[in-house]
Amino acid sequence: MQEQEVAKIEVGDGAAIPTPDDRGLVSAWWIALIGAVALLVLLPVIKPDPYLNILRFVPDGILITFQVTVLSISLAIVIGLFTGLGRISSNRLINLVASLYVEVVRGIPLLVQLFYIYYALGRFVRVPDLVAAVIAMAFCYGAYMGEVFRAGIKSIDRGQTEAALSLGFNNRQTMAWVILPQAWRTILPPVGNEFIALLKDTSLVSILAVADILRRGREYASESFNYFETYTMIALIYLLITLVLSKLISIMEHRLSHYERR
Amino acid sequence: MNAIEVSIQPLEERMMKALFAALSLLVALSTPVLANTTIVFATDATWPPMEMVNDQKQVVGYSIEYMTAAGKEAGFTPVFKNTAWDGIFAGLDNKKYDAIVSSVSITEDRKKAMDFSEPYYTVRQALIVPKASTAKSLADLKGQKVGGQIGTTGYFAIKAAEGVEPKSYDEVGLAMEDLNVGRIAAVVCDDPVAANYALDKYKDTLKIAMVIETGEAEHYGVAVQKGNTKTLELINKGILAVKAKGLDKELMQKWMGQ
Repeated sequence: MQEQEVAKIEVGDGAAIPTPDDRGLVSAWWIALIGAVALLVLLPVIKPDPYLNILRFVPDGILITFQVTVLSISLAIVIGLFTGLGRISSNRLINLVASLYVEVVRGIPLLVQLFYIYYALGRFVRVPDLVAAVIAMAFCYGAYMGEVFRAGIKSIDRGQTEAALSLGFNNRQTMAWVILPQAWRTILPPVGNEFIALLKDTSLVSILAVADILRRGREYASESFNYFETYTMIALIYLLITLVLSKLISIMEHRLSHYERR
Repeated sequence: MNAIEVSIQPLEERMMKALFAALSLLVALSTPVLANTTIVFATDATWPPMEMVNDQKQVVGYSIEYMTAAGKEAGFTPVFKNTAWDGIFAGLDNKKYDAIVSSVSITEDRKKAMDFSEPYYTVRQALIVPKASTAKSLADLKGQKVGGQIGTTGYFAIKAAEGVEPKSYDEVGLAMEDLNVGRIAAVVCDDPVAANYALDKYKDTLKIAMVIETGEAEHYGVAVQKGNTKTLELINKGILAVKAKGLDKELMQKWMGQ
């Protein structure tokens, strides 16, 4: 009975993740996907100048966007795991440090954090632009991720911990071998959601002169003055990426709950 | 019946009066003073000494005083609107302001999208490098990152140079800071701006390596929407009067010290 109740953490800042039983959202997903693909294909065919030129100009920006996203999320997961553990730690100092980190990061806008790490700390620590961007994004998302981990760990019934401890596991072993493997199933879907949210937020790094999708678009527009056409294509590219990713996460979520049901 | 009508009419009248008053106030607020035409100029005040924000948060600089003097000569009141460079041309296109005075070099590509006034200043592109650098031209910087402000002729020059990795910034000041901390090898921008940064703000760490000879000098012009001849004529009248009186020389003395 109890195994069927899977705790879900709702973090809505990534994208609307379609679930198979949500008919409204599923059809909206299809319409959006077909619309985005159709426009991305039709516009360059109908009007190669400037639409095809824009599509030729931005691909290296897409690569940079993914690079920043994947590196940042990997680092953020590591930071998040330790922050989550720190937040539930009974050691008051560790708990305070982790909580302080979460409070500080959540209280400062991401854009300000980016400026701070890049330009303010740039005077003392000389890191390449891409590294600075990744550190800033991971620093910010590590705090959010920490909250996801904390909630995921807390969702595991206390009986599990008690059972493990009574079997002679120590605290660390209990966390590593009993709690975390189960918490992963609860944690993974919101992590996927954070991945999409982070991908969208990487558009902010264009302010640091990192040549991501948005930066490439702005460069194209500033030279050609085709603002409408350029930003239409940029928006469609982001939309297509997040639509595909949200579908992948939905499939992953479905698989996980399937496993849970058995 | 009668009583009701009597009581309603004054109310209606009062409402109409109030409405009329409100409308006329609205009209008065929205129409420019006809006696002296107001021209709203967009300017990206991050380009010292041409246009910048001083410590009293006012937009000041050579171009600002130049247009103010031109306004006095031609009979228009300039209003300066601090606008981010990235999108300044889109704003003109969307009629958010009448003109741009923001160190816009007159180029063939830009002429296709907007109309330009008489030139009011002449510049060349300058290459700024750290004091220790031995680079004398963009050709010496092959394989290295060179920064410029997005959508400027300086950035276009970097893009046109072979083997150099161009990097575009929102503001030239951010590019200078990146050069200062060593993330990029050089910055290209208009020579008065280069002088302002390399000889003043960053005089201990940066220097001007050279002034790029791009064949011909670049001229700054005021940009207006295509076909807006009325505004253009007024501005041209002012610019020519300023030149004729030699006021531009005084301003150069004041802002560039030359």
